[in-house]
Amino acid sequence: MLRPQRNVEFRRLLATAVLGLLAVTGCTSNATPSASVIKIGILSDCQGDFGSFYNDDIGGALAVLAAHYGGKASGAKPQDGMTGAKIAGKDIQIVGIGCSDSTANKAIDETRRLVEQLGADILIGPLSGDEGVAVANYAKTNQPNKTFINGIAGAQEATLKVQAPNFFRFNPDGAQWSAGLGSYAYNKLGWRTAAVIGDDYAFPYTSLAGFIAEFCAIGGNVTKRVWPPLGTTDYSSFVAQMPTNVDGTFVGIGGAGLITFLKQYQQANGTINSKKVMGNLFWIDPQLLKAIGTPLVGAVAANMIAADSTSAQTKAYVQELSVYPDVQKDAASVFTLGYWNAMTALGMALTSVNGDISGNQKALQAALAKVVIDGPYGKVSLDKNRQAIADNWVTQVTAPPAGSNVPGLKTILQIPAVDQTFGGFFDSSSTLDRTNPPCVKKTPPPWVGHEIPVNFG
Amino acid sequence: MLVLFLAGAPSIFDSFTLSQILTKALWLGIAAASLIFLSSYGGMISLGQTGIYAVAGFTMANLVHAAGGRHLGWDPLAATAAGIAVATLFGVLCGAIASRSYGIYFLMITLAISVIVFYFFAQVTTLSGYGGIRSVTPPAVIGNPVINPLPLYYTALAASVLIYAGIRYLARTPFGLALQGIRDDPARMQALGFNVALHRTLAFGVGAFIASIAGILSVWYTTQISPGGINVAQTINVLVIAVIGGLYRLEGAWIGAAVFATIDNYSRVWMPNVGDWLGPSRFETVIGLIFLVIVLASPGGLVGIWESVWARRNRAGRGPTQSSRNPAPETVDAVVDHHEAV
Amino acid sequence: MAPRILLALLGVVVVAWIAYKGGQNGRLFWVVTLNGITLAALFFVVAAGFTLIFGLMRVVNMAHGSLYLLAGYIAFTLQASWYGVSSNLLSGNPATVVAWVVPLVIATVVIGLAGVLMQQVFLRWNQGQDLRQALITIAISVILADQMVAHFGGIAEAIQPPAAWPESVTLFGVHYGFFRLAVVTGAAIAIGGVLFLVIKRTRFGMIIRAGVDDRSMVSALGVNIQVVFAGAFFIGALLAGLAGVLGGTMLAVQPGNDSAFLLDSLIVVIIGGMGSLGGAAIGSLALGLVSSYANVYLSFGTTDLTNYSILLTFILVVAMLAVRPLGLFGRPA
Repeated sequence: MLRPQRNVEFRRLLATAVLGLLAVTGCTSNATPSASVIKIGILSDCQGDFGSFYNDDIGGALAVLAAHYGGKASGAKPQDGMTGAKIAGKDIQIVGIGCSDSTANKAIDETRRLVEQLGADILIGPLSGDEGVAVANYAKTNQPNKTFINGIAGAQEATLKVQAPNFFRFNPDGAQWSAGLGSYAYNKLGWRTAAVIGDDYAFPYTSLAGFIAEFCAIGGNVTKRVWPPLGTTDYSSFVAQMPTNVDGTFVGIGGAGLITFLKQYQQANGTINSKKVMGNLFWIDPQLLKAIGTPLVGAVAANMIAADSTSAQTKAYVQELSVYPDVQKDAASVFTLGYWNAMTALGMALTSVNGDISGNQKALQAALAKVVIDGPYGKVSLDKNRQAIADNWVTQVTAPPAGSNVPGLKTILQIPAVDQTFGGFFDSSSTLDRTNPPCVKKTPPPWVGHEIPVNFG
Repeated sequence: MLVLFLAGAPSIFDSFTLSQILTKALWLGIAAASLIFLSSYGGMISLGQTGIYAVAGFTMANLVHAAGGRHLGWDPLAATAAGIAVATLFGVLCGAIASRSYGIYFLMITLAISVIVFYFFAQVTTLSGYGGIRSVTPPAVIGNPVINPLPLYYTALAASVLIYAGIRYLARTPFGLALQGIRDDPARMQALGFNVALHRTLAFGVGAFIASIAGILSVWYTTQISPGGINVAQTINVLVIAVIGGLYRLEGAWIGAAVFATIDNYSRVWMPNVGDWLGPSRFETVIGLIFLVIVLASPGGLVGIWESVWARRNRAGRGPTQSSRNPAPETVDAVVDHHEAV
Repeated sequence: MAPRILLALLGVVVVAWIAYKGGQNGRLFWVVTLNGITLAALFFVVAAGFTLIFGLMRVVNMAHGSLYLLAGYIAFTLQASWYGVSSNLLSGNPATVVAWVVPLVIATVVIGLAGVLMQQVFLRWNQGQDLRQALITIAISVILADQMVAHFGGIAEAIQPPAAWPESVTLFGVHYGFFRLAVVTGAAIAIGGVLFLVIKRTRFGMIIRAGVDDRSMVSALGVNIQVVFAGAFFIGALLAGLAGVLGGTMLAVQPGNDSAFLLDSLIVVIIGGMGSLGGAAIGSLALGLVSSYANVYLSFGTTDLTNYSILLTFILVVAMLAVRPLGLFGRPA
């Protein structure tokens, strides 16, 4: 008596569930590929540590379409989308804007949704280091016939180790962003010993590796490396562990923790001596600078951006972003620039092959490998691993201009043509972790001694 | 009948739906089923299933060829067996520690287990590949799940069916019956001479076995495994799925998982923008609201709602119908209140 | 007997190890110890609210961390929009004492009321269904966490203490943050004292103590138990809010702090025992000191295990739950 009843009820339930599923999924059509439409997906973080840069990323990419290819913004926010763009006569369809949370899992989920469900031919993104490595692996193993152009993910491994033939990175990796600092510390500030501190995950390993490689190659000694673990809210114990008998400290703590860290550093050690600390790109991102303020005045950091540049290319770049005024304010942010680079390169490559993405996109990929961007902060070209070679810029934090409490930035050095391997220091077998790279004296990278002083005054 | 339908599903649904939603619903359903097995037959609501399936996944990922981790190059099938074995053993150990706790304390100890597993893999980077183990090689039978999602789909389907049938069978064995007795009144069972702690430990081990299968499938499905995918948020997700489906209905595991996967996927496309409150990235708010409504309105989850709707219809037509299931407690706590005195 | 001897031995080894390491670098030892104590103070404020709610109403308020974080955001927003205090560390519109205290009071009261609202709407009608209430509060915390990210963004912010207060003080030759040391620790001690007096000396406190022991009897004696519950929930949420503003000033206000402090509260009351204020104090000290020392001293020669300090904390929690599930001072309902 009981069993048939249960079966009937259950069957009804499941039938309804299935019909529901059909109704929902039947509405999505995986449109048949059309020869005259090129489908692009854009992936960034809208949640997690880097969620607040979402608009900058998407805006940076879409602004290129608006400025050069006739795109019309569908709304005030970049995430509303863009229509009407055409490259080489082919319609550009933004099939979707992915939202990840800086974890590899979510990034893969979103990549698969954009590429497999929505049918993107080309994917621009992702944002964070771990995501970049995951997407590069996915591209290589699972989607060899589509093209992936990195957003702003900076983990070295994504190109140097994975070497996916269809994954292109038009921005320097995290280590390259620190180029010039090791030499500045040794030669200009006179540091001979240093301590480093960074969050305990892939990106800080890379970022600090760039400093360590250069500093040690020319004879410096990194005596202590402190790695606050994941989820640290209280840095005081780690601040306490930083040795005071070193000539300088390199700080690689990321966005969220940096404010807390600096506050506690000051409480423990008094006012920051700008000649004895140095930071990575986080110190000069506009959003963070506003929050951190004047304690860092006089200190030096480095980035692929020269925030006060007045060159014609810089002006043109800022002008291109005018379609999204909020993004334009953050023009000097790596997040905006990284995605801008990606879309600019894509536009150039597509134009040069007349929009031809047939033949498993091989022609497009060959064209991408040869693209040289005359970017706002120097030329960007690719090495044989499809990894960018670009200029890096050493910047100094300056006192706030009158009437403001946001510090200024003054670029002081141009580091020309920084490549991923640091002149052979890194190769595909390099591991970057809590103790690697080891601090050894080696052939200095080619740019040491060839830095170009600049003054955009 | 449903199984036949699902077997024929590939010809109806396009391949993305198949792989992103159905396969995901199947393995998430297995994870939720391990939780529902424990809650429904054992009266134990456990937040430790994610931690256990993480152990299975990471063990397997480290043993095969992959990018990251130890990549010892084992045969994927052997690695799968090893992963399941290690995770089940781990589960039995955890069960032994947790077996004397009940109710809220049991919930917290299992939460602590999942958190420990997360931090372990987050910190021991030689085992977790510095941010994840990627491009994990599945067995040749599965092939490349992205390029051809069918084999993984059928594997997950077969696993789900076997697990469902297995649990229903287990419930009728002496062990299963004793377990349900312990769920209802542990003091009496102890008085009758049953080793309550041992039964609960073994039950936890069975739950761990099921969870480990989910873990292995999850790695093949996502092609990688990373600490970010097994964090507290994922632990809560598995709980949400189980509750939405119905904590006391085994079928609820897969129903809840299907709902979760569908909303997760389509919310990014269909969610209207209501200022800052709602929008395509506000998936967590939506699933939280659904979770809240279900817990407030119907502890039996969606399956419970369904059954009461049909029961009311039947009652209108035919007179009172008996509850068709092993009488499951009305509320989550009627079960557990017995234990507060312990 | 044997386990006790083992535990005692373990304790001696640990203390000896810390003393040895501490002797090597006295300054570091003092700083780390103060870190532990000040962190414990913060944990105590947040966990006191948690344990009060659990002890009296058997509600595991999994949204406690969300209340903590929300208070921080409210105070930060008020400080920025009403007083124009910039989020720069030192400069900008200096925060006056008013600019810190007023947001503190408002945020704390708002969160207290939010807590009562939550209790009246979601928790009042299902008294006794502990697990169900835990699930409800989990749902609320998920929703709140997502909404906070949507409205306040993902970037970390800091509440500014009054500029008139010194940045740091020197104690035994060690520079230490004034706010941490004086304000947070002072607040914790004051709150502990006040709560102790209220619980032990007032009628309301007496009812609470009785209610913790035997709810139904208290109700049978004619006390309006619902008012007592609402009052206790108000106090509990108030404490979470206060901790949120203190923590937001001492550390930062950022997403992720909600689950972090919820887990910390859980650990503290697991160790100390649900419903016991004294237990919360001991538990906080234990957690604060263990995590601070482990972060620095968990290294033996060249093997540096300091990154596993958080694992150590949780392993201790599991051990405590396994061996003494009710905690040091907890009592069954």
